[in-house]
Amino acid sequence: MGRCLGGSDTLFGLDARKRNFRFSISFHGSCICALLTAYLFYKTESAESRPVTKIFLRCAWFTMVVLAASIVTKSGKVLVSRQFVEMSRIRIEGLLAAFPKLVGTGKQHTFVETENVRYVYQPIEALYLLLVTNKQSNILEDLDTLRLLSKLVPEYSPSLDEEGVCKMAFELIFAFDEAISLGNKENLTVAQVKQYCEMESHEERLHKLVMQNKINETKDIMKRKASEIDKSKIEKNRGDKGGLMALSGPRRIESSFNDMSISNSGSGFGSGSGIGLSSDVESFSIKPKGRPSASATAPSKGLGMKLGKTQKTNQFLESLKAEGEVILEDVQPNVAQSKSSLPSTDPVTLTIEERLNVVIRRDGALNNFDIQGTLSLQILNQEDGFVQLQIENQDVPGLSFKTHPNINKELFNSKHIVGLKDPNRPFPAGQNDVGLMKWRIQGMDEASLPLTVNCWPSVSGGETYVNIEYEASESFDLQNVVISIPLPALREPPSIRQIDGEWKYDSRNSTLDWSILLIDHANRSGSMEFVVPPADSSVFFPIAVRFTAASTYSDVKVANVIPLRDNAPPKYTQRIQLIADTYQVV
Amino acid sequence: MEKSCSMLIHFDKGSPAMANEIKEALEGNDVEAKIDALKKAIMLLLNGESLPQLFITIVRYVLPSEDHTVQKLLLLYLEIIDKTDARGRVLPEMILICQNLRNNLQHPNEYIRGVTLRFLCRLSEPEILEPLIPSVLTNLEHRHPFIRRHAILAIAAIYRLPTGEQLLPDAPVLVEKVLSSEQDLSARRNAFLMLASCAQLPAVAYLLSQADHVANWGDLLQMAALDLIRKVCRSNSGEKGKYIKIIISLLSCPSEAVVYECACTLVSLSSAPTAIRAAANTYCQLLQSQSDNNVKLIVLERLNELKTSHKEIMVEMIMDVLRALSSPNLDIKRKTLDIALELITSRNIDEVVLTLKKEVVKTQSTELEKNGEYRQMLVQAIHSCAIKFPQVASTVVHLLMDFLGDSNVASAIDVVLFVREIIETNPKLRVSVITRLLDTFYQIRAARVCSCALWIIGEYCLSLSEVESGIVTIKQCLGDIPFYTATEEGETADASKKLQQVSSVTVSSKRPVVLADGTYATQSAASETAFSAPTVLPGSLASPGNLRALILSGDFFVGAVVASTLTKLVLRLEEVQPSKTEANRACTDALLIMTSMLQLGKSSFLPHPIDNDSYDRIVLCIRLLCNTGDDVRKIWLQSCRQSFAAMLAEKQFREIEEIKAKAQISYAQPDDLIDFYHLKSRKGMSQLELEDEVQDDLKRATGEFMKDGDDANKLNRILQLTGFSDPVYAEAYVTVHHYDIVLDVTVINRTKETLQNLCLELATMGDLKLVDRPQNYTLAPESSKQIRANIKVSSTETGVIFGNIVYETSNVHERTVVVLNDIHIDIMDYISPATCADVTFKNMWAEFEWENKVAVNTILQDEKEFLNHIIKSTNMKCLTPPSALDGECGFLAANLYAKSVFGEDALVNISLEKQADGKLSGYIRIRSKTQGIALSLGDKITLKQKGGSN
Repeated sequence: MGRCLGGSDTLFGLDARKRNFRFSISFHGSCICALLTAYLFYKTESAESRPVTKIFLRCAWFTMVVLAASIVTKSGKVLVSRQFVEMSRIRIEGLLAAFPKLVGTGKQHTFVETENVRYVYQPIEALYLLLVTNKQSNILEDLDTLRLLSKLVPEYSPSLDEEGVCKMAFELIFAFDEAISLGNKENLTVAQVKQYCEMESHEERLHKLVMQNKINETKDIMKRKASEIDKSKIEKNRGDKGGLMALSGPRRIESSFNDMSISNSGSGFGSGSGIGLSSDVESFSIKPKGRPSASATAPSKGLGMKLGKTQKTNQFLESLKAEGEVILEDVQPNVAQSKSSLPSTDPVTLTIEERLNVVIRRDGALNNFDIQGTLSLQILNQEDGFVQLQIENQDVPGLSFKTHPNINKELFNSKHIVGLKDPNRPFPAGQNDVGLMKWRIQGMDEASLPLTVNCWPSVSGGETYVNIEYEASESFDLQNVVISIPLPALREPPSIRQIDGEWKYDSRNSTLDWSILLIDHANRSGSMEFVVPPADSSVFFPIAVRFTAASTYSDVKVANVIPLRDNAPPKYTQRIQLIADTYQVV
Repeated sequence: MEKSCSMLIHFDKGSPAMANEIKEALEGNDVEAKIDALKKAIMLLLNGESLPQLFITIVRYVLPSEDHTVQKLLLLYLEIIDKTDARGRVLPEMILICQNLRNNLQHPNEYIRGVTLRFLCRLSEPEILEPLIPSVLTNLEHRHPFIRRHAILAIAAIYRLPTGEQLLPDAPVLVEKVLSSEQDLSARRNAFLMLASCAQLPAVAYLLSQADHVANWGDLLQMAALDLIRKVCRSNSGEKGKYIKIIISLLSCPSEAVVYECACTLVSLSSAPTAIRAAANTYCQLLQSQSDNNVKLIVLERLNELKTSHKEIMVEMIMDVLRALSSPNLDIKRKTLDIALELITSRNIDEVVLTLKKEVVKTQSTELEKNGEYRQMLVQAIHSCAIKFPQVASTVVHLLMDFLGDSNVASAIDVVLFVREIIETNPKLRVSVITRLLDTFYQIRAARVCSCALWIIGEYCLSLSEVESGIVTIKQCLGDIPFYTATEEGETADASKKLQQVSSVTVSSKRPVVLADGTYATQSAASETAFSAPTVLPGSLASPGNLRALILSGDFFVGAVVASTLTKLVLRLEEVQPSKTEANRACTDALLIMTSMLQLGKSSFLPHPIDNDSYDRIVLCIRLLCNTGDDVRKIWLQSCRQSFAAMLAEKQFREIEEIKAKAQISYAQPDDLIDFYHLKSRKGMSQLELEDEVQDDLKRATGEFMKDGDDANKLNRILQLTGFSDPVYAEAYVTVHHYDIVLDVTVINRTKETLQNLCLELATMGDLKLVDRPQNYTLAPESSKQIRANIKVSSTETGVIFGNIVYETSNVHERTVVVLNDIHIDIMDYISPATCADVTFKNMWAEFEWENKVAVNTILQDEKEFLNHIIKSTNMKCLTPPSALDGECGFLAANLYAKSVFGEDALVNISLEKQADGKLSGYIRIRSKTQGIALSLGDKITLKQKGGSN
């Protein structure tokens, strides 16, 4: 809450950076732009009144737009009209009033053109649904839009007459807004528009649920805290000073609060103000060194984008094929250049993943060491589905495979080939990964751990020195290693004495993230030392580690894709990844 | 510039919600009531109330609401309220909504974020937008495409503001980044459009770097790309070459909308034959593949445009165009034929005519209800082909003659007119046509067709055998003579009585008909089919000849035509028949026929006797046959044909003149001045203006761009509203746009006192509506004020605007009223001369309900002078050709036609006769579909017809 208010100070204040006016001419460095801008300036000068230029700027978006979507009665009464470009009231009323006079009877086409505009309409019982467009507008698009609108109107209006439409006028305007985005066509279906208008958001529900939970939790904690305060008062009365332990309670509250704000992605939650803990939270506001870690959207965004990307390229590919070779050949010369922007996609994609679940004790003993692997397959075109996969793997003790029920088990056991039981059926094609096989490796010992972390907190003087070191095994090159060390509640970020790699302090979760981009033979071991105010050594656990690697324990690989039909083997790519799912030192 | 209006909602004034009721509901906790109240508030605002007290209530009680509908309605409310004061500064309280908007932009619900971003696109106050920009930018990276789409739109809208470049200096860079990583089609389109309009260079670079993939872009993005290409090429035509390849690759795109757009772009960019051919081909394919009539018509319109600009290429496409004839829609067929007819050359004429013939045959085989009309169109098309290229006439005329007996009278008439013209202009075909006509004559049913065919027989039967067979054919068709015998009288008396009753019904529907020359004629509405008389008559049973049926039904006009045809044939027979006895026999036969017709006409058998006109003509024929002379012979056998030939020649001459006149219109003179866009109305176009031409299309559509008339004319339209000695002097300058009238009223305070609450109150009569409520002003001593009032017009009608100026002075607390002069809105502002075909005119004349008959009362003495006077004062066009008005005969009949801007037709017929005392008398009849035009045009004519002084 406090953060939110603090933010609004800069919101309305004069931000010096924004006052740094720059001309777009120098900014773009482009002569066309300069010319245009100069021309606009010239226009501004020569125009009698400024607003004209403004309007010119704002509606000259696109040369083909829908000016308005309206419903009028056959007698010419305007029931609802939504304009998508700026136009004066007298103008739109005039256009709509002229319309019923222009509509002839007994015609089999449903558009009328005047000197300036085109009306595309559709009679709906005693009403006309009509689009007013400019004459350059693309009739095919407009008809599509009109078709969509004509399906939408009965969805919202209980009866297709004057009364019904007037009653639901606002709902219709909302629907029109979705179907035509500021005059431009959108490729939507009725169901999508309805969904957009209903505004049922999964995220909001989730958000509300989380909020409710947090509120309940906080209430509980409040009660507990109240009783603790009561207790401590009694203890104080006794002259006993046990405040340190009592503090651990509130800290948890704060961290949970900060969690909440993350999922909220920074929106000030108004209803939380009633809890009355704002002063506590304030003390944890972002320190200059600590980067705002509120970008919880960033990782999720990355994932979403990736998925979208493959879909997109599939569409490209399909339409490419549909259009025949001529265009494909045309594409060739520039492919290398454009490849960077468009990810290449092969018809068959194999994903091999191993996930680690490791819990190590502080003393180095293993609590849990579990590896789970999956092999999944994505096939774009049905034709490419008639394949079998030749699997290779290293013989690791404790490795056991499990195949999907539809996979021919005998074939796999005898020849290490993954194929469907029914050879006449293809693998399912589509956007989704299809899991084919799972495996587990159990009973591994400490020696095979990819990474070990040692943490040595020691109190000396008024401070706690913490030494952390990692050691990576020779067998893997680890990427994006992040070691998160929980810290006691701090006013300032910890002072780092020495570090191999980079660090980041997340004040809200009060964790210190030690990140090493790549661990390979050059840096199989590394260390860090930092200083914090005195704290119990148990505070610094559990340490969570995240990393990925490009090779796996089992070394499962697809050696070959064997086509079942007598065509060339389809091109395939495989992605092999080892991911630390849970990797904790407790 | 007026305030823009983003939505209209019908508001029923019957239940006015009170502001405090709304306020109460808004303050309550009931969400439903809140929604209702908010809706009412928006409706009141849309209807011109201002409700300023509601704003704070809404900020306090509605802003925090979590209900989605409330939030959306709130955005609509914010959209329509005035956010600036009179001087254009943002109201201070608007800062209150910023926080709410910012929260909405960070709302967990993606749709709330989306609609809020969309709302920002409609805002134009940088003061409100500025604090929101960071939130908008974070939305650019949101996971949900719905939000990203709208975030890009919002950024684009902000950047387009006059101060946008300061608010968001790096917008193009951001958007460019988004464009390269974005996957959602709609969002990419929005991003691309933003770049295309704000920073063309990156957009062009992106387009060119992706040139090979454009064919795989989604349709929305492809449209945007085409738009950009057009824009770039207009400003920099040298770069065309780079883009043509992209366009060609898009031509094979699956989306038809894109393909259509491609073709349009090609045409606008290039005039190279290959490009035009490709575009035309695309259009033709669309014409085939699209089933929607709208699309077909618009594509045909595009082809029509191509035809005018690139005729030589379109000539090659004519057969493809003609394929559109397969559509069942008549409008499409008509348009297709219109285009095709102008593309005919000597090379493709045979093919075209072959196709047309096939189509004609098709109409015969399939029975569709519109077939008759379609056949008529085809016949007309073939007709004009045959006039242009006489050699094809021989191949079609026989086929067409099968349709002389067509049940669709209109197409049969077209055929017979065609035959008449061909037989005159194509002497080689005469023999075969005449033989054919005589063979098929018995099939003809319609009276008009019959009389025309008879005329042809009478004029073009030249050789002995032709003349003889002509006479025989007519005789056969007339059946046994006499038509009517006295002995039958008794027997058929009963029948005729019955008939009388039947016909009394039909006779009542007799109505005057305008003939082609504009004169009135009385025609029996009882058509040939209405009468069953022929079947009743015993004489007709043997051979129910068509002529007999017609004559027995009482159509003596046909009788007169038969008589004159026979006369002509007999006269000619006398020339070619060596045997005198044969000629005499034919002569007596003809006389017998004529007398029996007269006898029938005089008998009581028919419900109404022969009309005087026909009677006179038949008698004239009898006299002539009894007493022939060389003069008369010459008139009958030669002059008729000469005058027909003269008529054809005149018609052709007029057509040639029209073509010449069209060809002479020059689009621009080399020494034309360059007009500056904002300084003058647009005629010649410089390079920069060319660039704007397309945007003008949009601007015209939004009503921003109006053609300005001559400044000199403007001054003529100033009306004085009050006297010079009134305390307030007012004059108005009236501008009439299409659907609206703008009154620019200058008000001058002539007193030494300050006038308070000065208000211009206007009221209207007729089909006029005041758009805005008048405002109050305070006028300092001897100062002046410009007040503008908008009035909406919805039909062509003389309207009157009257009003008062009301004000208060400081000493007298009574309101003073100055009554204004009435402002008459002239109907002539709405009427423009137009042309239509004779047939259309006749149809409309018969169809329209309102007639206003004005008796001629003028001091003018000359008929033509009077006609010209009326034409000038009503701003109509005379449809009657000048040649028909030539000569002095003391009579004049003419048709005038005009169209209003609302698409209403106004028809006027003038019939004049010069009295013995030199005065003109007669009537002017006005017909229209609506009462307004008939009345106001009548008033206008009554006012102006006196002539003389004005």
